[in-house]
Amino acid sequence: MTRRQYWTGIIATVLALVIFVVPFVFIAFTAVKDKAQASHLDFTWPLQFLFWQNLVDVVSTRNYMLLLAYFNSSIITVGAVAMLILFGAMVGYVLQRRQSRWNKVIFGCVLAGLIIPPAVVPTIWVMQGLGLFKTIWGMVFIQVAYGLAFSVLLYRSFIATIPRDLDEAARIDGARPLQIFLRVILPLLKPVTVTLIVVQSIAIFNDFTNPLYYLPGKENVTVQLTLFNFQSQFSTQFNLLFMNILLVTIPPLIVFIFFNRQIVAGMTAGAVKG
Amino acid sequence: MAEVVLKGIRKSFGAVDVIKGIDLTIRDGEFCVFVGPSGCGKSTLLRIIAGLETATGGTLHIDGREVSKAEPSERGITMVFQSYALYPHLTVRQNIGFGLSLAKVPKDEIARIVTATAATLQLEKLLDRKPKELSGGQRQRVAIGRSIVRNPKVFLFDEPLSNLDASLRSQMRIEITELHAKLATTMIYVTHDQVEAMTMADKIVVLNGGTIEQVGSPMELYNAPATPFVAGFIGSPKMNLYEGKLAQEMGCQTYGIRPEHVLLGAEGRWQGRVKHVEHLGADAIVHLDVEGLGSLVARTTGDTGLRPGGDVWASPQPGKEFRY
Repeated sequence: MTRRQYWTGIIATVLALVIFVVPFVFIAFTAVKDKAQASHLDFTWPLQFLFWQNLVDVVSTRNYMLLLAYFNSSIITVGAVAMLILFGAMVGYVLQRRQSRWNKVIFGCVLAGLIIPPAVVPTIWVMQGLGLFKTIWGMVFIQVAYGLAFSVLLYRSFIATIPRDLDEAARIDGARPLQIFLRVILPLLKPVTVTLIVVQSIAIFNDFTNPLYYLPGKENVTVQLTLFNFQSQFSTQFNLLFMNILLVTIPPLIVFIFFNRQIVAGMTAGAVKG
Repeated sequence: MAEVVLKGIRKSFGAVDVIKGIDLTIRDGEFCVFVGPSGCGKSTLLRIIAGLETATGGTLHIDGREVSKAEPSERGITMVFQSYALYPHLTVRQNIGFGLSLAKVPKDEIARIVTATAATLQLEKLLDRKPKELSGGQRQRVAIGRSIVRNPKVFLFDEPLSNLDASLRSQMRIEITELHAKLATTMIYVTHDQVEAMTMADKIVVLNGGTIEQVGSPMELYNAPATPFVAGFIGSPKMNLYEGKLAQEMGCQTYGIRPEHVLLGAEGRWQGRVKHVEHLGADAIVHLDVEGLGSLVARTTGDTGLRPGGDVWASPQPGKEFRY
């Protein structure tokens, strides 16, 4: 390593620390401060460490709303991610393996799903028509609809790297199409599946705007919407707000730390042949 | 144990006819090799028999039953692929037992069959490994094991040895031949390697451009090739074939003489200059430049004293010439 590379490395590390770690430390500090010190909203050492008290306050606010929010967000996340994986892999498999003149049209629709921005009001009309507005399952379907195109694209390009001989060998072994998919293809899609679990579950768990539009109602609250508990037009309790942020950040962080390695493997899988 | 009968099998991809009407009977227990150059339709024909491609026309009978429209698993066949096509996420044990588990065979029965098959193929110690931890030859044996457990009527092999190195290839050739002798099952084997065809087959089917050029035993094809194509394809080094003036002099359109039937000496029919000598040990391949004939290849003894640039006379061995 040359001297120049050494210093570039040091500068890059310091920059990364400033960009990624400093905001997190700021959140953690503010979360344990008392109400008066937190209201200054500055980067100072806490005078008092009120971690436990702030935590209890946040969790118990509005009749333990945060716990309900965790429950709702978890259901939405698990439901949507499971459907994204199953349907994404199935559509990707059929698109890649079965050539027909409809393929281009279907692929066009998938791309349109990525390109065209979602419109809120018409979506609400459709959901009201289907009786899904203000329901948890309605929210799950919205998340699936928004994420499916990306999931299909990722699976399709990965399936292209799996030799067709495997499908044919399974067919000769007596497997029916669904068995080929479930017993041979799906297990081989693990790198992409892990990537999708991480990327989509973090995105869905952290989603603020979609639950705000499509899931109104106190009993439908999701974790990101609990942040409204501590801010209003004239006053904001920054210590509790930041404690809430801290609690909301932890689950995705754990997922990310656990699956970090596989994400990179999955993102680059299928990018190069071999 | 089954006879395979193909009647008028045709296959087109769009406007391109890949198989142009094939009639063929492969007898029960026979080792039949489809051989031909790339693109001659041999793999497509095998895939039609397997049921992985549907024929555009014609019928296929296996063991007296018409199976043209049947699913691959209902035909009583099994196939060993060029790429082995082992399931990468399953162990050797699970790979071999995959077909049985699909057929809902009881678990202890699967374990018994898999163990017995592994013993036949010397795979006992590898049963808990994944395919990526195996060598090419071992993978091929697992692929064969996966085929054997299904107890098929017909084995299909699609260039199974082409990914192996030369020494392993000759070893696997012997193993497959021994397997055929032991199981006495009908086997259909596709290759572009005429050495594999000659050494393994009971019957060779030479394909060219989607049609059958000739069907026969290896020695029939060697001794009496029906067409110049077969004459050039069977035998190594390939037969010297000449058209034009020499052929006219010989009273035919194409004149052929195998390198091993060209005699070199101090006098003879054609005078040539040595271009190149390939020493193979026991024998040597001599490439000659003959005036009025072009190049001529001769096989001679390994201790030949011929050197590039030297002059030599060549003559065809009487009775070994081919005229078409």
